[in-house]
Amino acid sequence: MRCHACRGPANVEIRRSRTAYCARCYPAWFRTQVQERIDHERMFRRDQGILVAVSGGKDSLALWHALTELGYRADGMYIRLGIGDYSQRSQAKSEAFASERGLTLHQVDLKEAQGFAVPDLLDTRSGKPCAACGTVKRYHFNKVAADLGYEVVATGHNLDDEAATLFGNVMHWNVDYLGRQGPVLASTHPKLVRKVKPLYRLSERETAAYAIIERLDYILEECPMAKGAKSLAYKGMLNALEEEQPGAKYGFLVGFLKQGRHAVPGGDFDQATDLRECTRCGQPTTGELCAYCKMADRGRKKSASKAAKYAR
Amino acid sequence: MRVTILPDREVREVDARSVGELLKTLGLHRDAHLVVRGQDILTSDVSLSEADQIEVWPVISGGRR
Ligand code: SF4
Ligand SMILES: [Zn+2]
Ligand SMILES: [Zn+2]
Repeated sequence: MRCHACRGPANVEIRRSRTAYCARCYPAWFRTQVQERIDHERMFRRDQGILVAVSGGKDSLALWHALTELGYRADGMYIRLGIGDYSQRSQAKSEAFASERGLTLHQVDLKEAQGFAVPDLLDTRSGKPCAACGTVKRYHFNKVAADLGYEVVATGHNLDDEAATLFGNVMHWNVDYLGRQGPVLASTHPKLVRKVKPLYRLSERETAAYAIIERLDYILEECPMAKGAKSLAYKGMLNALEEEQPGAKYGFLVGFLKQGRHAVPGGDFDQATDLRECTRCGQPTTGELCAYCKMADRGRKKSASKAAKYAR
Repeated sequence: MRVTILPDREVREVDARSVGELLKTLGLHRDAHLVVRGQDILTSDVSLSEADQIEVWPVISGGRR
């Protein structure tokens, strides 16, 4: 295969568009895709402060790298989730990435600041903390951004993530979530910062190729809690389909965003309106106590009972 | 040839003439992996030889993000 840009030997094949790029031309292609999405979806402008949600994995580091290369003012934020060695290693990768490039990385330590860690939040049915972990991340990324005056939170969600989420929401007919899925969540309250996903049309493989070619030192191992996650099963199925039909994932997601989403009741309705402030933390919520504060109570209880067990 | 599969660095001996064939033999999806020789990512049509040292990098991560 030949590089689409320079006709030299190619390294990365993009099957869905029947093209390929060499390692020298690939990063520019990747960043052009990111820029094109930022502009087309009006995600943010160059004079705005962007907070990148960083996990130490390939997607968030590739996003942070691409945004700074494109000349955006992007700082990082890492949440210490307290998932054993995995958390320690991913924190080290995130810190190294920031310090090598002179970038600012904000951090929140869940255990220290809140008195619980993600493993305290196991769901009784699935035995996994992932749903709660998602809430933790959304809450703290938003809160830090709002408190420090960032205008937008950018996450590294890629095409595979978004297609798998869409697939799950269709499988279970989560109509509420379907209506809200998209690359941009507008702010509907002064304390709810705009959320964007600049990589949403780039596949996981394309993001990994960018990270490898740019020699980004990311954490390769998975969070131990991810094993058996439904999202992995969906990704596997979609990649089996992709094998036979290159472009299937892209068509599924982009087709939905262009045509399906508007047909869903409540579609195009971004973050919930009709909000008041949580009586404990002041974050916007529809109820008295926000979902995060309720969950944090559970987490602290669990953490305390674990500590009591070890003290005995 | 010797193939190292990340992240656990499991080593396998595989007979394959090209990158595409290698992934097929290992039963791995093309869109879920990158095949690397030395510093280079390889496209699926690249021919492989017995002496090649190959790494297979999985690219899929799980959980809710
Ligand atoms: S796999 Fe689950 S617990 Fe681990 S970081 Fe992802 S969402 Fe959190
Ligand atoms: Zn080229
Ligand atoms: Zn609250």
